[in-house]
Amino acid sequence: MRISALDELAERVGLRVGQGIAEARACLPELDVIEAEPAADAKLLASLADWCGRYTPLVALHGDNALFLDVTGCCHLFGGERALFDDLAARLFHMGFEARLALSATPGLSYAMALASRQQVLPTGEEATMLRGLPLSALRLEAATLDGLAQAGLKRAGDIMDLPRAPLARRFGPDVLTRLDQALGREGEPVSPRLPVAALSAERQLAEPVTGEDDILALATHLGGNLEETLTQRGLGGLNFVLTLYRVDGKVVSITIRAPAPMKAAARIAALFRERLAAIHDDFDAGYGFETVRLSVLATGPLDPVQPDFASAGRSDLSLDDFVGKVEARLGSGVVRVPVLNESHIPERASALAPFNRDLMDASPVSNWPARLRPMRLFAHPEPVEAIAEVPEGPPITFRWRRTFHRVSRAEGPERIEAEWWIDGEAASPRDYFRIEDQGGRRFWLYRQGLYGVGALPPRWFMHGVFA
Amino acid sequence: MANAALAKANLHALRQVVAAIEEGRQHTGKLDEQPAAHAAAGRLALGIEAFDGRLEGGLPITGLCELRAALTMDAGAATGFALALSSLVQERLRPERPILWISEREAGREAGLAHAAGLVSFGISPSSLITAHPRRIEEALWVAESALQTEAFSAVVLEVRGNPAKFGLTESRRLHLKAREARLPLLLLRQAGEEEASSAQLRFCVEAAPAGLRRIGRYSAPGTIGHPAFRITVEKSRNPAPFAFVMEWNADDRQFYAAGQDAIHASGAAHPHRSPAAPADGPDRADPMGRVLAFNGAFSRAS
Repeated sequence: MRISALDELAERVGLRVGQGIAEARACLPELDVIEAEPAADAKLLASLADWCGRYTPLVALHGDNALFLDVTGCCHLFGGERALFDDLAARLFHMGFEARLALSATPGLSYAMALASRQQVLPTGEEATMLRGLPLSALRLEAATLDGLAQAGLKRAGDIMDLPRAPLARRFGPDVLTRLDQALGREGEPVSPRLPVAALSAERQLAEPVTGEDDILALATHLGGNLEETLTQRGLGGLNFVLTLYRVDGKVVSITIRAPAPMKAAARIAALFRERLAAIHDDFDAGYGFETVRLSVLATGPLDPVQPDFASAGRSDLSLDDFVGKVEARLGSGVVRVPVLNESHIPERASALAPFNRDLMDASPVSNWPARLRPMRLFAHPEPVEAIAEVPEGPPITFRWRRTFHRVSRAEGPERIEAEWWIDGEAASPRDYFRIEDQGGRRFWLYRQGLYGVGALPPRWFMHGVFA
Repeated sequence: MANAALAKANLHALRQVVAAIEEGRQHTGKLDEQPAAHAAAGRLALGIEAFDGRLEGGLPITGLCELRAALTMDAGAATGFALALSSLVQERLRPERPILWISEREAGREAGLAHAAGLVSFGISPSSLITAHPRRIEEALWVAESALQTEAFSAVVLEVRGNPAKFGLTESRRLHLKAREARLPLLLLRQAGEEEASSAQLRFCVEAAPAGLRRIGRYSAPGTIGHPAFRITVEKSRNPAPFAFVMEWNADDRQFYAAGQDAIHASGAAHPHRSPAAPADGPDRADPMGRVLAFNGAFSRAS
């Protein structure tokens, strides 16, 4: 057991990371030891990253204790870089985090500055001067490279900045120059955001936190109205919407909805959020209220402008989309399905219930329609039946299905359906389907899987569906 | 809702008058009946006089009707009957709107899921059907109620299994009123259910009945299974005497016939796309090339 992290007090006493617990206890008998939980730490960092979404949508995790925030173009919303920096520092301090912050033109330099405790906003143009004074260990280099550099007496970034590049790269690897260039902005280093970046978003910061669901929905409608204009200008509609609620105590609640078709009307978007909120009502904890509300559009799709006419054509289409959106917002996606035909001979593949999609509804071309009689309802898993046939290859004369005995009065078939060898493999056995009517007049679809005299097991009978 | 629907109907009638004036036709001065009204007094005639007569003109096209299958193994027949009725409603009243089939998960597990190819061979276009699969009965009722509040559907089929306690008299009354308001038919399809008091205007018990023989031209082929047949027992209606009736659904004509009556209509009228099934003791044969589909106008528009 070794120490993986220390608080200030323990650091002051002289303990250090990597020390054995027994040794530390010997130094300080009243030491409080709490087992490290890397998973919980990662979760905390992720939730902190979510919270940082209030400053910029581009938040990236780095290692297990760092966050990169790309605040390009966001600073003016908070009154400039300095104000944003101070606001972030103050909020983190009040949440009880000991954070080291630095803001500069490049992520590499900011990281190095933070690691070297140069907590400040670096004015543009002073990058080289700042970097010169920073230790090489802050440059995100591998330990072996750092050792090599240290042996050569190179400790600060300034020591290597003026050296000829080619010999440096040859001796210490290309990494050194890459990191140096990244810190100076000579090489671009994109911040890869943790969450997908919204195509559009609208935000409202509130002076007084809100708690009520109605207030939140009213805000969502308001924000939706802001987005509607932009969407109209671009000829787009939103498919996925996220309502991000920043709680006063730093918790972030995200509510996602999926629209069945691109939409932009604020009232329709709000209606979907209303259903979603009703569905998660029990898990929704407003606490002391939400101080910032943001509505983002994650995915968009083209929205053909429809000219309304007097016959109000297309109105029913909209109501269908609204219905599906409402049901899926409340009950989860995939509840509403449409039967579709696929190109396959195997009955369970030939038709499927696909999640609702307007394009799918018209997608089954007439030429796909099978001429053969197929059952109205198909069992997801064919159910084994005990069947007795007069002749081995013939239709059954009696069978037992779900503990009920059926006597066959008429049978049509067999219709042999071979396995699809390109999916099932060549060893898969064919099925012989029979359409059967029992003495009560009920019509079933039974099949015999396998052939007599081929394979170790005798063929087996299955119930696959019921006819009307 | 009802007022809105009524207003819409009036608006439609007024538009027709305006159109007539614009075309220079003499308009009659009184509003034309709305197109929905040609089904006599809100009833959907099945085309079998004896049956329609007993039901005062046919199936009511608004409100709740219950179709009950006493056993799970009759669920296929009950589903077929329910979908046939709703597709008739769709075809005659609101051809451009789909049918919604709400099926509790449990019901789908027990009796199977909708099979698109099977719908086609039953004469129903898969694109005219939307299914919903809520997990619990409360959710299913909520979906049904939401569906009745929109104008997206031509008919709603609600499938439940057994007699759930959470779907009692109050809930069925509520749904019935909603369906009446929305002027939509709501068919309650009850799998393996007992008779129970409900607000349904009609309750049928649906069982499968032995099908007739398959007809090829004017001959019937022995040993074959023809059009699906149903034995419909009317358990609850305004007509006090319970009665049972056996009818067949012709998927090609998309029409019901009294059992055995189909012969008159089908003879001579060839249905080229339906290949005769192979008898049980013969080899299967290949499909003929280039099939022609004999669906009606509404149906081919929908597809």
